[in-house]
Amino acid sequence: MTTIEELVEMHAISRIEVEMHPRDQALRLLYGTPGFIAWLGELASGSQPQRRLGEATPAEQVDDLFNTFLSGMPLVYMKQFRSIRAEKNAVWELKTPDIRIFGWFLKRDCFVAVFGNWTDVVKDHDLYRGYRIAIRRLRRELGVDETLCVQGVTPGDVLSL
Amino acid sequence: MTSFHFDIGSRARHAGRFIGRVRGELLRALAEKKAKDALPQQALAEKLGIERSLINRQLSGEENLSLRSLADLAWAMDMEISFELKQPTSSAGQNQSILTQTLATSTVSYGQIKYINGTAKRVSVLPVPANSEPTQAKKIA
Repeated sequence: MTTIEELVEMHAISRIEVEMHPRDQALRLLYGTPGFIAWLGELASGSQPQRRLGEATPAEQVDDLFNTFLSGMPLVYMKQFRSIRAEKNAVWELKTPDIRIFGWFLKRDCFVAVFGNWTDVVKDHDLYRGYRIAIRRLRRELGVDETLCVQGVTPGDVLSL
Repeated sequence: MTSFHFDIGSRARHAGRFIGRVRGELLRALAEKKAKDALPQQALAEKLGIERSLINRQLSGEENLSLRSLADLAWAMDMEISFELKQPTSSAGQNQSILTQTLATSTVSYGQIKYINGTAKRVSVLPVPANSEPTQAKKIA
């Protein structure tokens, strides 16, 4: 049975961290695939959507989202996270005004991000189905569909709220 | 690479997290109000005389929130805003969300911004650890 540690060792995923307040410790875990990490690097270097919606920059939005997630604060269902489709082994979406992040929960409170993109691009090109299929395929290739994937689709199944 | 540190710099981090916290507070306050008092966004919009879609955009972060619109939303939800600037705490401790999460009561509080239910203004919302240092704070409103 594949473990999270093995996925990290084989460089299939890497742990994502943000600067946290001294009083905080990570209460959840966040990972990203190499492709997502590369996208995150571009975001950190200042890439912008054609039309920005949020008051914060996209990088600031993602930093806040990750900090909220990692420090164990509640996320508002539908506004900040949701499943793409209510199905077993669902693909989940993390949301900010300008950014959409797609991935799945390896375990409760443990998310692996696979794709990130601008909100308007995802909506305009209806990329939900494509991302869902690609993520399901990746899970099958990694052999984690049954072992490292939260099967429930309620918010409480994936996050301690 | 076994880990990636997403670092956007201190100034951007402070700005983004403050903006996010305000929006998060609004979302949670509204969710709580909706669950407790069955107050939908439509009722808020009617009370404020604005389009529901505007409130939706403000809450989802797609529309900038002015201080006035923030105050209006709090008023429409019958809540008070408590804004506080204080010296940062630099010592290790327990995650603040756990310290202050009081969703079971009428109060929601995270960080320095607190919405206090108008009917329970005297409720203490920030439990202070016994070993914590007193901080100098400026209170507005």
